[in-house]
Amino acid sequence: MQRTVDFKLPHFFNYPPYFTLQPVRETREKQVQLWKELILDYCRSQKMYIISLEEDFPLFSNPKIERSLSYEAKEVFLAALVSEGRAEWIDKSHKKCLILWLRIQDWANYILDFVKENGLEVTTIEDIRSGIETHGTELAGIDRGVLMRALRLLEQKGKAVIFKGSSADDEGVKFSV
Amino acid sequence: MRRRPGIAGLQSAAATRDKFRLVGENVAKVRTDVMQEQLATFRSQLEEFARKHKCGGITFLSACATRDENKFLMAKHISITSANAMYTIVLVQSDIRKNSVFRQQFHEMCAKVGVDPLASNKGVWAELLGIGDFYYELGVQIVDICIATRSHNGGLIDLLELRKLLCQKRKTDLGSLSSDDCLRAISKLKVLGSGFEVISVGKKKLVRSVPTELNKDHNGILELAQAKGYVTVEQIEKDFSWSTGRAIDALETLLKEGLAMIDDGHRDGKRRYWFPCVTLSSDASGSEAKS
Repeated sequence: MQRTVDFKLPHFFNYPPYFTLQPVRETREKQVQLWKELILDYCRSQKMYIISLEEDFPLFSNPKIERSLSYEAKEVFLAALVSEGRAEWIDKSHKKCLILWLRIQDWANYILDFVKENGLEVTTIEDIRSGIETHGTELAGIDRGVLMRALRLLEQKGKAVIFKGSSADDEGVKFSV
Repeated sequence: MRRRPGIAGLQSAAATRDKFRLVGENVAKVRTDVMQEQLATFRSQLEEFARKHKCGGITFLSACATRDENKFLMAKHISITSANAMYTIVLVQSDIRKNSVFRQQFHEMCAKVGVDPLASNKGVWAELLGIGDFYYELGVQIVDICIATRSHNGGLIDLLELRKLLCQKRKTDLGSLSSDDCLRAISKLKVLGSGFEVISVGKKKLVRSVPTELNKDHNGILELAQAKGYVTVEQIEKDFSWSTGRAIDALETLLKEGLAMIDDGHRDGKRRYWFPCVTLSSDASGSEAKS
C-alpha cells in the first residue's frame, strides 16, 4: 500500500515513543488523542473506510524510524474511536473496523446538501457513489454500507424514500427536499 | 629629567614618582566624580521627565534610537524640539516592537541609569513607549504555549522550541525575538506565582511551567538525554555509576511527571526513555533511533 504524497504526517509520527503504549494516564490520553485524529484525517484524505487489524496499514508502522504499533496499541486506538462513535467494529472478534470520518448523521446532511445543489431528486445508489456530480466530493467511492445507513436515516426522517429496482445495481432513491 | 647621582638623587626621584601618582589618582577621581555627578543629574532629569512628560528625557530616547552610548551620556546637552521628540518616540516605539537587539540595549541603558522600564505599566516608559505592552503580550503568549504543549512535554519546554512556537504565533522570524526577550517576559510572569521558571540543564535552557521538583538526579538524566533525545537504564548506570534501583527510581518519577515517554520498539529490545522537552518537535525525525 502506498501513502499518497499529499497527506502530511504529523511530527509525532516520527517520534518513536508514540509507537509504544504509554503507561502514565495523562501521557496515554494525549497519545490516544493524537492517534485518533491521525487515523480520521488519514482515512478521510485517502477515502478509506475499513481498517483491518491483521493486515498492513500504512499508518501503523513507520519504516523511517523502524517502529510499528503492537496489536494491542492498534486495538486501543481504534476502540477509543469506537467509544466516541467515530468507528464501529464490523466483526465480533474486533479485527475489522469501519472508520466514520463523517458520522452517519453528518453523511446524511452531506447527501442532502449534495442532492439540493445538483438537483438530483431522483437518482440511483450507484450514481451517488460514482456519478459525474460525485467527482471531487466526499461522496466519491463512499462505502456502500455507510451510504445505505445514511439514506435509511434520511428515510426515517421522511426526507428520502429508497425503492428497489430489478437488481441491487439499480436501487434508487427519491429525496424530498 | 636629568638623573642626579647619590642616595639623595634616588630619593628625590622616588618622591617625584609618588607625587605624579597622587596627582594622577586625583585626576582620575575627579573625572569619576564628574561622571557620577553627570549621571546623577541625568537621572534626576529623567525622573523629571517621567513626571512632566517634557523634553528632558526625550534626549534619552533619541540616544536610545541612535544606539549611541556617548550621546546617551551627553543627552542632557542636546535640545530637541517637540516635533522631533514625537518623531523619536514613534521610532522607538516601532523599534521596541520589531528589533530584539534594540530591546536588549534599551534595557542595558535603563539599567545603567537605574530605571526599570518594566516596573509598572503605569510608568512613563510603559505608557509612552509600549515597552510594557510588548513584554506583557509576550508573557501571555508564553503562558498560552506552555499550557498548550503541557500534555506533550509535561510542562517543561526548551527555550529555543518556545521561541520557535512564539514566532509561529506572532508570524515573525526567529531573529526578531531573542532569548533575552523571552527571559524578561518570563521573569515578569513570576509575580503571578504560577511557578514559571527557567532552569539550565546542560547546554539548554528549559522553561518550567508546572511546579515540579526536579532534583539533581533528574537534572542529570535530562542532561544526558540531550545527546540523543533518549536514555536507557543501562546508559545511566554506566555514565553515572548508579545502581539500577536509583536509575529506575528517577526515571519513574520523570514518567509520572509526564516529562518522559517509554519506547519499547527498538530492535535491541531495550526500553528507551524519551524526553519531549529536550527534543525539538521540528527535528524529531528520529534519525537517531536507527543507530
